Amino acid sequence: MTSPTDKLEHLISESGLWRASNINYEFRQGIPSGYPLLDSHLTRSGWPTDGVTEFLYDHYGIGELRLLAPALAYLSQRQSRKILMISPPFIPYPPALNACGINLRELFIVQPKTIQDTLWVLEQALSSRSCSAVIAWPQKISDKQVRRLQVISKEGNTWNILFRRTNVEASPAELRIRLYTVNSHSHPYSSVHVKIVKQRGGWESNIFRINFVDNLNQKTPDFSKLLVNYSDHNDTNILQWPMDLPPFPTVTD
Amino acid sequence: MIRTYYNGLWICLHFQQLPIEIFTRERTEKPVVVTAKKHVVNLNHSASVLGISIGNSLDTAHILAGNLVSFEKDEEKELATLKHLAQWAYQFTSKVSIKAPNSIQLDVKSSLKLFLGVKNIKSKLQIGLQQMGFSAQIGIHKTPLAALAIAKGGSSSLKNTPIDKLDIEPQIIEELKKIGVYSLTNILDLPQSGLTRRYGVSVIDYLKRLMGEKPDPQIFINEQPDFSSEINFLSEITNLKALLFPMRRLLNELYEFLISRQLSINTFTFKLAHRKNPTKSFHIYLTEPTSNVSTFLLLSELHLEKIRGIQEVDSLKLTARNFFPISSLSGDLFHGTQLQQKDSRITDVSDGEDCNRLFNILNARLGPNVYFQLSQENDHRPEKAWRVIPHDTRPKMPHDFVTINNRPMFLLPKPRKLKLQKNQPFLNGKLLLLHGPERIDYGWWDYNINRDYYVARDNHTNSIYWIFRDRDHQDLQWFLHGIFS
Repeated sequence: MTSPTDKLEHLISESGLWRASNINYEFRQGIPSGYPLLDSHLTRSGWPTDGVTEFLYDHYGIGELRLLAPALAYLSQRQSRKILMISPPFIPYPPALNACGINLRELFIVQPKTIQDTLWVLEQALSSRSCSAVIAWPQKISDKQVRRLQVISKEGNTWNILFRRTNVEASPAELRIRLYTVNSHSHPYSSVHVKIVKQRGGWESNIFRINFVDNLNQKTPDFSKLLVNYSDHNDTNILQWPMDLPPFPTVTD
Repeated sequence: MIRTYYNGLWICLHFQQLPIEIFTRERTEKPVVVTAKKHVVNLNHSASVLGISIGNSLDTAHILAGNLVSFEKDEEKELATLKHLAQWAYQFTSKVSIKAPNSIQLDVKSSLKLFLGVKNIKSKLQIGLQQMGFSAQIGIHKTPLAALAIAKGGSSSLKNTPIDKLDIEPQIIEELKKIGVYSLTNILDLPQSGLTRRYGVSVIDYLKRLMGEKPDPQIFINEQPDFSSEINFLSEITNLKALLFPMRRLLNELYEFLISRQLSINTFTFKLAHRKNPTKSFHIYLTEPTSNVSTFLLLSELHLEKIRGIQEVDSLKLTARNFFPISSLSGDLFHGTQLQQKDSRITDVSDGEDCNRLFNILNARLGPNVYFQLSQENDHRPEKAWRVIPHDTRPKMPHDFVTINNRPMFLLPKPRKLKLQKNQPFLNGKLLLLHGPERIDYGWWDYNINRDYYVARDNHTNSIYWIFRDRDHQDLQWFLHGIFS
C-alpha cells in the first residue's frame, strides 16, 4: 500500500519538478583568491567554500597568511557569517589585517586551553553554519580527526583552513597546498612558491610563483653602515616550529 | 423580558486530582494519597484499586497498601500550581480566570478563529495538560458557571447535570432532593418566586448567572512577569542524567510561556532541591536573548554534566525573569538552503541565531572570556595599536584607518631579544635588513618607546620579520617584534 506522501514523491519525481532544496553545491564557484595565477590552478577558479584546506610549510613568515588574506577580506566583507581563528600562534595584528581589507567585526579569536578543546571548538564551529572560514594551527592532529573535520565542514558549508608542517605525508584533506620560500632578491616585492599537492577534481600542479603586492623585498639602507661593534654571540636562537613563546594574552575585563 | 448575557464561549478546566498531581507530575504506578489531619482526602487510581477510599485514616491506608506514598495536603502549593496552569492557559486566550480551589475558566470566543474552532482548543488543552502531568475534566458552555457545572458533572448536556454538582449550599440541595428535584431541569421548572421565597436570593441569583440571564463578571488573571515551574519526584533521583527528561519538560513549558507572550530570555535558573540537603541552583546565561528551546536544552545539558557534589534530588524547579521582546524575523522561503544572491551574500536569516548558539556553547563548555575580537586603535606605538575586545562588551569599533607603512600579520605578544652573530642580528640565519628604518618613538604619558623598525629577511629560512633596535637600550639591542606571515 502506498501512502499519500509516497504518491506525492512519485508525482514530483515524475513531473521533473525542480526544488530549491536540491541545489547541487558542487558546482558553486570558489572564493576568489586574489591571485589570478593561483585561481587558474584551482578547480573552482578560487578557494573552496567548504572542506579542509591544508597549508604545508616549515617556517612562519613566508607569506602564508598574506596568501590567504584577500580571500578572508572577501569573505569578511561579503558575508555576515564569521571568520574564526582558533589558537593563533601569535597575535593577528589588527593594523595589518585592516590594511588587507579584513573586516575586524567579523573576525573572532578563540583561545581554548587544551588540544582536545581546540578540536572540539573546531568541530562546533564547523557544524554551526555560522562561520564562513575557520582557521586553526593544530600542532597535533591525526588523519582520523582531519577526516572528521572534512565531513563536518562539508555539512556545515564552512571552509576549514589548517596550517600544518610539511612532514605530514598524506591526509584526507580535500585541498593541500605546499608553500616554499623564495630566495631571489631581484624584485622589490616579496613572493612565495606554491605547489598544489592534492585537490579534489583536479591535478597536482608544478611549483609556481605568487608575487605579493608589497614592497617588503625592497632594500633601503646599507646594512654595514648601521652596525655598532658588538661582541660575538655563539649561541643561536633558532625560531622554529613549534615555538615556545609566552601565551597569547588573556582577556581581562 | 429575559435578556441573555451570553456573549462568550467558556471552557472550564476542573482539576479534580490537583491535590495529588502537584506531587505526582512524574507519572507513577504507586498508590499515592493526600491527607489532612491524618485522614485521606485525595487518592490516585492505584490507591483506590487497593481499596483505600476518601475518609480512611492514614493507618488504614498504610495497612491496605504497603508501598503507600502519602503527602500532607498543601493548599498553598495547590493555588500556586493553579496560578501556573492559568498562566500556561494564557497562550489560548487573554481572558483566563481562576476559580479556587481547583478550576480555571477561559473565555475562548475571541480565539476561535486563530485555533480553528473550539474542538482544536480543547484537544490542545488536553494534550498540553497531559504532557505537563495534569488531568482535567473539561466543560464547554456559554457561561462560566455552566462550563464549570458540566466539567464537574461530567455529562454532556447542561440540563441533565445533577444538582449536587451545582454551586448550591449542601443543605438546600438536600431539601431540593426531598421534593424530587435531582437535575438542573427540575429546578428550572420550578417557579422562580417560590424558589426565592424558600431558599433565598442567592440560589436564584446563581441560576440566573448559570443560564446567562444575568451578567457574571470575572476577574481575569494578569500576565505574570516571571516564570516558575517545579517538578517533584516521588523517589529521590541519584543519577543526574535522569534529570534530563524532567528538565526537557520544564523547558518546554518555558518555551510555551515565552512564545505565547512573544518574549525571549537571556538567563534562567534551575534549582535542584532535596529535603535533607541544601538546595543547589545553577544559572544559565546566553549571549543574546532567545526563545529557542533546543538551545536551552543543550546548554542545560552541558551545565548538568559539570555539576558535582549532589547525591540526591527530589525536586527540580525552573525559574526565569528578565524578559525581552522577541525580535521577529520572518523565515526565508529557501530557509536553510543558503542560496547566494548575485553579490554572493549568503541570505540565511538564521545566521545571527546560529552564531549566538555557537558562542553560547563555547561559553558553556570553556567558560567566559575564551573568545574575543580585535580592534585597531589610533596609536603610533605597535603595542598600543590594537586591543582585545571581550565578547560581552560591544564597544563601537573605532573608525578603521589604514596604515601606509608595512605592518606584519603576526605580532609577538612581547618583543623578543635577538642574538647577534658577527655584529648582525641573527635568528635562524642572518637577518638581512630590507626596509627601514621607521622610527617610532614618544609616549611619555603611559608607555615610552624609542625604536627604529626594520623589515628583515632571514637568509636561512627566507622568512620576513619585523625587527627593531631599542634606542633607549644601552647596547642598542635588537628585538624581534613581528612576522610577515
